[in-house]
Amino acid sequence: MAVPLGAFIAVSAVLFFIGTAGVLVRRNAVVILMSVELMLNATNLALVAFSRRFASIDERGSVFVVFIFVVAAAEVAVGLAIILSAYRNRPTVDVDEIRQMKG
Amino acid sequence: MIQNVWVIPALPLAAFLINGLFGRRWLHRWTGIIASAAVGLSALLAIGVFFEVQGGGHESTTVTLYEWIGVGDFHVSVAALVDPLSSVMLLVVTVVSFLIFVYSNAYMEHDHGFYRFFTWLSLFVFAMLILVMADNYLLMFVGWEGVGLCSYLLIGFWFERPEPYVAAKKAFVMNRIGDWGYTIGMITTFLVFGSMQFTEVFEHVDIATEANLTLICLAFFLGATGKSAQLPLHSWLPDAMEGPTPVSALIHAATMVTAGVYLVARSMPLFEAAGPSLAVVGAVGAVTAIFAATIALVQFDIKRVMAYSTVSQLGYMFLALGVGAPVAAIFHLATHAFFKALLFLGSGSVIHGLGGEQDMRKMGGLRRKLPVTYWTMLLAGGALAALPPLAGFWSKDEIVAAAFLGGYPVLWAIGILTAVLTAFYVTRAMWLTFHGEPRDHHLYDHAHESPAVMTLPLIALAVGTAVLGIAIGFPPEAGFIHRFLGPVFEHEGAAEHAVEAATIITLAAVSVAAGVLGILVGLSMYVRHRPDPAAVSRAAGPFYRLLVNKYFVDELYDRRIVDALRAAFGAMWAFDIHIIDGLANRLGWLAAVGGSGLRRAQTGIVGNYALTIVAGLLVILVAYGGYAAGIFTR
Amino acid sequence: MDIFGAAFFALLTIGTIGAGVGVVLANRITTSALLMAFTFLNVAGMFVLLGAETVAMFQVLIYVGAITVLILYGVMFTPQSPRPYGLFFQTQKYWAALFVVPIAIFVAVVAFEFRDSAAAGGSGGDLVPLATSIFGDFAFPFEVASVLLLAAMVGAIVLVKRDEE
Repeated sequence: MAVPLGAFIAVSAVLFFIGTAGVLVRRNAVVILMSVELMLNATNLALVAFSRRFASIDERGSVFVVFIFVVAAAEVAVGLAIILSAYRNRPTVDVDEIRQMKG
Repeated sequence: MIQNVWVIPALPLAAFLINGLFGRRWLHRWTGIIASAAVGLSALLAIGVFFEVQGGGHESTTVTLYEWIGVGDFHVSVAALVDPLSSVMLLVVTVVSFLIFVYSNAYMEHDHGFYRFFTWLSLFVFAMLILVMADNYLLMFVGWEGVGLCSYLLIGFWFERPEPYVAAKKAFVMNRIGDWGYTIGMITTFLVFGSMQFTEVFEHVDIATEANLTLICLAFFLGATGKSAQLPLHSWLPDAMEGPTPVSALIHAATMVTAGVYLVARSMPLFEAAGPSLAVVGAVGAVTAIFAATIALVQFDIKRVMAYSTVSQLGYMFLALGVGAPVAAIFHLATHAFFKALLFLGSGSVIHGLGGEQDMRKMGGLRRKLPVTYWTMLLAGGALAALPPLAGFWSKDEIVAAAFLGGYPVLWAIGILTAVLTAFYVTRAMWLTFHGEPRDHHLYDHAHESPAVMTLPLIALAVGTAVLGIAIGFPPEAGFIHRFLGPVFEHEGAAEHAVEAATIITLAAVSVAAGVLGILVGLSMYVRHRPDPAAVSRAAGPFYRLLVNKYFVDELYDRRIVDALRAAFGAMWAFDIHIIDGLANRLGWLAAVGGSGLRRAQTGIVGNYALTIVAGLLVILVAYGGYAAGIFTR
Repeated sequence: MDIFGAAFFALLTIGTIGAGVGVVLANRITTSALLMAFTFLNVAGMFVLLGAETVAMFQVLIYVGAITVLILYGVMFTPQSPRPYGLFFQTQKYWAALFVVPIAIFVAVVAFEFRDSAAAGGSGGDLVPLATSIFGDFAFPFEVASVLLLAAMVGAIVLVKRDEE
């Protein structure tokens, strides 16, 4: 039997939830970045699923996904640059220890 | 001439401006001449107006300058009402003012505030003329306030000493209480009648309820009480003697204090229709008359005696108004202006001659040294004591006669009793000042008669005092002034007395007897010392102290009213500091506390910020879900 | 045929979810990184299952290829001293749970709504429609995207550059 759309959406949802949990719970900045990628993947999955289910001539959902790829890549690059910069300042990537913005 | 009536106040106004702007630097002594000339010209014009009104059948004319206020239903013009009453007032004010201005040129000669004196005095005459000429209550109020202002400025003329400016403040504040009454009367008049113009209001008296009319009249009378120094707002007048003597003569004897009488006289149609208000006027006048006369008995400052005498005589005028004899009141106003101004100027002459001494206990035997002053003051004193054929007799006698004939025996009795007291204190004052042995030889030796510039006005006033009564008031009830002013007050409700000659003569005889009695008692006590005045005052003990201290009225006011007000003000100040300022301070404190509270959200921990983002996401999801589920509607 | 599709899907689901949980909970950071790559791979598989092969190819190229390598570089340049497992998690984890659980419920509900939908996966490949769209309607955003990448590259370099005296 074919896989119902709801299943893909369910998977996407769970993955998104996992990613959110990771962002909020892990201390290491790089791991947080990884969790963000999980979230992005979840959305990609949902978009492609909808796009393929309600396929129209131009598959706009998938087009959007392609652009999300681009943005995600750029974001990882810049995010890591920031993390490395911060690491140079104080040799930690622990987000709980970076509190200079207090007040 | 009537059409040019506005020139009359314009001249003193011009004098005020010229003296005020140029007096200090350039004009010096000329200020006195300019001011006197201006008032003199006004006096001539006033005489002209008077004769024109008299010749024109005693009609009233309105001369409008321009419309001053025109807002919705509220219209007030700057206009003059020229009728017998206002023309009499114009005459009295300008003529007496002129004589006093001339006198002041010499009296104030050595004063370094010479130009300032004439500036304020000119302004005063201007304001007083506005008051007298106005054809509506609002314009009259302009003059009313103006004279109050000038009174303040002139009482406090020698402000280098503390007593004058304290007295000036007191005068102004007490006046203000009266002004509050006037304002209420004025506004209520507008609310009830839709206009403040005399003619319009008086024509429509019947549209108002008696309660409204009583309110209006009592409010106006409160104003008159303040301005004319009747009980309970009388105590500023004796203190006002701190001002220069010409000021006392002009403002506090002849003109400003008569403004209250004029107000009530002008508003007679209202008062007559307002039930008990005339009774209040008469009662207050009578009580004030005798009250002030008792205080005058024991005063040692010659000007204070005259001041209390003025209060007392004003009481007579209000008494006359109260018993329904407004013509008598105005008549007495005119005669009193002459002889009281003369008494004050004469006192000023004495003070001038003694180099500034005002205490009668240091005088004595001055008649040999100041003959002109003596004889003119004697005449004026006789008028005050109401001896025929002097002016005072005709007017005062008419007042008490009106009281008796109008059916007010108690008021008549008070009037007669006060006449006795009046004659007594006048005799006492004259004796202590001019007769007997000089008590201070140093002062006596240096005493000199005043220069002609001062004595001529004294003589002029003396002539007026002598003849004015007969000229305009004889025969009683049927003299010139009655025919002149009668039409102003004649309308339904004016009391008509059936006068028999016999009754009139009897009443007159009683008045004269009262005056003579007072004089004889005075002479007896002071010439023969039977009984000795000092012994009498010792015997009277506490009662004597009561009189000397003016019934402790000022102390009463100070303790009860002023202290209470100070407490109230203290409470208000505390309210302002703690509650109003406190409110502002609390708001600031609130902002600070709020700020530091909110600051705690800035933990600096990036994870917390991410959490906040997720929380926001949650809110959006909930909202969106709510819409989708139909829980929320757009 | 379809039974294979369903089984494949089940397999991929387990892989995705399991690897995702592993990323969040793993002991060592390199484990997290590699598990993340595995997740990406599984998602690519799902794309294939949906018939979006081109997208799947891009997924593998970009995510499994570039991004994983980037992350590993990041891991390499930021060594942390070893620490007990509990300190892997932020102090705000309890608050986080408070917020995340409702989200979980919500997404569960949303997913539940779609349970009766018909099968996903349309007919035909996705290359032609994708190409037509990107180089047709979305040509301009495509160019902008390349500028974005350029900017990101320059920005990253600037951020990390050491100031040489």
